[in-house]
Amino acid sequence: MDEHFLRRALRATLPLIVWILHFGFVYATAAAQCSPGGLRPGGPDRVLLGCVTVVEMAICALLAWRARSVPGSPHAGLLDWTRLVLAALSLVAVTWNGIPLLLTSGCA
Amino acid sequence: MKQPMTDPTPLPNSAPRPEGELERLEEVWRTPSGWRFFKSVNNTNIGLLYIGTALLFFVLAGILGLLIRLQLAVPENAFLAAGTYNQVFTMHGTVMMFLFAIPVVEALAVYLLPNMLGARDLPFPRLSAYAYWAYAIGGLAFFCTLFVGLAPDGGWFMYPPLTGLQYSPDMNADFWLLGIGFIEISAIAGAIELIVGILFTRAPGMTLGRMPVYAWAMLVVGLMIVFAFPAVIAGTALLEMERALDWPFFIPERGGDPLLWQHLFWFFGHPEVYIIFLPAAGMVSTMVPTIAGTALVGRRAIIAALLGVGVFSFGLWAHHMFTAGLGVMEAGFVSAASMAVAVPTAIQVFGWIATLWKGKVRQGAPTLFLLGFMFIFVLGGLTGVMVAVIPFDWQVHDTYFIVAHLHYVLIGGMVFPVFAAMYYWLPLINGNRLSERLSRWVFGLMFTGFNVAFFPMHITGLVGMPRRVYTYPADMGWNGLNMLSTVGAFVFAAGVLLFAVDAARTLRRPTRPVGNPWNAPTLEWLTSEDYGNRSIPRITSADPLWDQPTLSREVDEGRHYLPDTATGARETIATSPVAAEPRYLMILQGDSWLPPVAAFGTAAFFLLLTMKLNVAAWIGGIVAIVCVIAWLWQTDRQPTQGEARVGEDLVLPVGAIKSGSHSWWGTMIMLIVDGSIFASFGFAYIHVSMRLQVCPPPGASLAPLSQALVSGGLLVLGSVLVWLATHAIGKRRLPWLALAALACACASFALDMHGLRSTGLDGSSSAWAAAISALSGYQGLHIVLLAIVGPYLALRAWRGHLNHRSRATLDNAALIWHYTTLQGIAMHALIRLMPLLME
Repeated sequence: MDEHFLRRALRATLPLIVWILHFGFVYATAAAQCSPGGLRPGGPDRVLLGCVTVVEMAICALLAWRARSVPGSPHAGLLDWTRLVLAALSLVAVTWNGIPLLLTSGCA
Repeated sequence: MKQPMTDPTPLPNSAPRPEGELERLEEVWRTPSGWRFFKSVNNTNIGLLYIGTALLFFVLAGILGLLIRLQLAVPENAFLAAGTYNQVFTMHGTVMMFLFAIPVVEALAVYLLPNMLGARDLPFPRLSAYAYWAYAIGGLAFFCTLFVGLAPDGGWFMYPPLTGLQYSPDMNADFWLLGIGFIEISAIAGAIELIVGILFTRAPGMTLGRMPVYAWAMLVVGLMIVFAFPAVIAGTALLEMERALDWPFFIPERGGDPLLWQHLFWFFGHPEVYIIFLPAAGMVSTMVPTIAGTALVGRRAIIAALLGVGVFSFGLWAHHMFTAGLGVMEAGFVSAASMAVAVPTAIQVFGWIATLWKGKVRQGAPTLFLLGFMFIFVLGGLTGVMVAVIPFDWQVHDTYFIVAHLHYVLIGGMVFPVFAAMYYWLPLINGNRLSERLSRWVFGLMFTGFNVAFFPMHITGLVGMPRRVYTYPADMGWNGLNMLSTVGAFVFAAGVLLFAVDAARTLRRPTRPVGNPWNAPTLEWLTSEDYGNRSIPRITSADPLWDQPTLSREVDEGRHYLPDTATGARETIATSPVAAEPRYLMILQGDSWLPPVAAFGTAAFFLLLTMKLNVAAWIGGIVAIVCVIAWLWQTDRQPTQGEARVGEDLVLPVGAIKSGSHSWWGTMIMLIVDGSIFASFGFAYIHVSMRLQVCPPPGASLAPLSQALVSGGLLVLGSVLVWLATHAIGKRRLPWLALAALACACASFALDMHGLRSTGLDGSSSAWAAAISALSGYQGLHIVLLAIVGPYLALRAWRGHLNHRSRATLDNAALIWHYTTLQGIAMHALIRLMPLLME
């Protein structure tokens, strides 16, 4: 379609996709590293998960920064606003999801 | 309210309308009278039937709730026996969730959305009719199991091992597993209709930014259904396979894991809460601006928040499993996500409060129920954040605190908005409003009764009363609280009864002009008949009836788009998904007995199969398949004309092909559902594999890699042949290419079966083998589908029903074919990757 619907929808919801990737990765990795088939001595790899979390936070922050002009722009449409709001929401959610890495360890 | 905008562009049809035009429109869209009404597929009619049936289930499940409260009113009560109580509380939860909550939100959407979007109807009216009849026939039959003692009794979440064959040897659990199957099919069919309808049948000019927030909510909900329901479909299939074939997916002694069910069930079950709540939130966002008389504050943020809630809700499934032995870190992630979802939810709540604050609130029945909703839902949300805190959840899990929390969320978050919606939108049916005087009594009884019934349950739970007990000793200190809850439940029921009396009285009044009784800004308040609006409006605002004050008159005079039937068939304008620019004239299917008969066959198949009446079940199944094929056979015919004039300056092509066609998008969404079910089976395989110390387990092996490569190669060859067929329209080779492709697909599957047999991989030997068998079986199901699709394509080609202007059947069949190829390759890759990863 010449409106590039899917591309525009993807662009607007990119921050949510970042959150999905982050949550999916940290949960699946922690679960796998605590399962009988993939048991890791000492529990989930917090350094790896922490690095991924920081990278994804940076991506969310970058997306929010790139959308910073939206509030002042008279031409900003709904999808532009969506990108801005979702970037902020995803940044909060990814950061919040990273907190268990600081507070917990092991597979108990 | 903003100043009305003036639209300088001329109206789409400025000339007076010719004589006979309206009569032609009425004739094409006329609803059949008498018993033929039941073959009607118009979404307005189906929507009303749908809403009525869902409300019937609300009452039935409510009566079950009252029975529960009667039993628990006093200690050591013998009103219900333990076994009966188990069936009653299981059916209360199951019926409320599967037969009331999900259907009623889809039903309201099916009824409201065509008019709210300015469409004559949604794109697949027969699919809506099929979805409704499958739900109604199957749901009523499912409910009747209660009267013969065969109702499910394992709780609405049906946890194994309690629901496995060892502890539930009778058919009760099977009725749940297969009975819920067709309800899920119905919900998914509804979701496909809503997604495609919202994206492609909006009034010209109704850009995504101007689309009503309710439509946005239903779009998000439709997408959530597409991704959430497959998990429970896969879960129910696995549990039924365990019970019927002894494939031990959930039996730990044989490599299975009961937690696998919990993961699959709650991956559906938690988004389900938001699938119920978001439509209600959308309704609230539609009603609040009207009752406040001002535009919705933070509209764009609220729409973004809807998307945020929809996605975040998928990260919350495991917060139902904090006491199930998850690792502390995984539980922490889920706990964090449970708190994060409160942020976008709060954006919506603050948006509503700000709108009420900014405007001048009109007092009335919808206002009362909306305020009641905010109070109750916010309390439920706060206790939700409490139970997201893991140590607190450990204390209250499986106690009445959770019962209180979930009722505050579900009744507050959904039932109160639905009652507000009924007060608000009921005038659309016959122009009469419900009684304002009685509404105060209804609200007072429901609000007071609800809080008296459920607030004490927080305390009952905190002092230790567990859920799902059929009675309790007198010396536990729970007596007074339980009696209070029972009194409250009956007060609440009295409110519902009073509402029913008022609704019956109102609906029996003579029909009056609907008008716009609330001075609402959205399009559903335009004059509407069987054909929808007299003409399809052109929109220049998010609040069109406020900002385009002459719109209603112009539409009624036929001065907007498509005031006639351009082709003599039912039709609406298909618009582009972002800017809502007119693209083509969409021909809609008319009334037919095929959808209800197909639905009857589907319900008969599932229910009779449960009762082990296999021959009768397969007759039902074949009836359903034949009806669907007959229904499809009538579609995708070459249009009688290439173009149609829908406005003085606008001529549109009739129908569209490839990705421009709504049927292509419907098929794509169906395949996403399909892929999600496959992914759930794949997850089951990964889950049971990860429980092994060695993979494959001792004594098990896989067929040689070469066999898998040849199987995948045959699938690819089949897809290539189908691709060639899509480029051979009008050529004699087309049907033979389709049949050759089918031969390749069948050969591939035969090779897979040979591989399983040669290695002696038996599904009943271990959960790992069972998971591989389930994946292979699912691929086999697709080969069976192709065995229908291939000859169907060939037949259509031979009968001359495939050509360059009616090629949707071919394009959609090709999509299904390529998907099956990808799925087969993904299956082989996954099966072989896990042992490599675990080496």
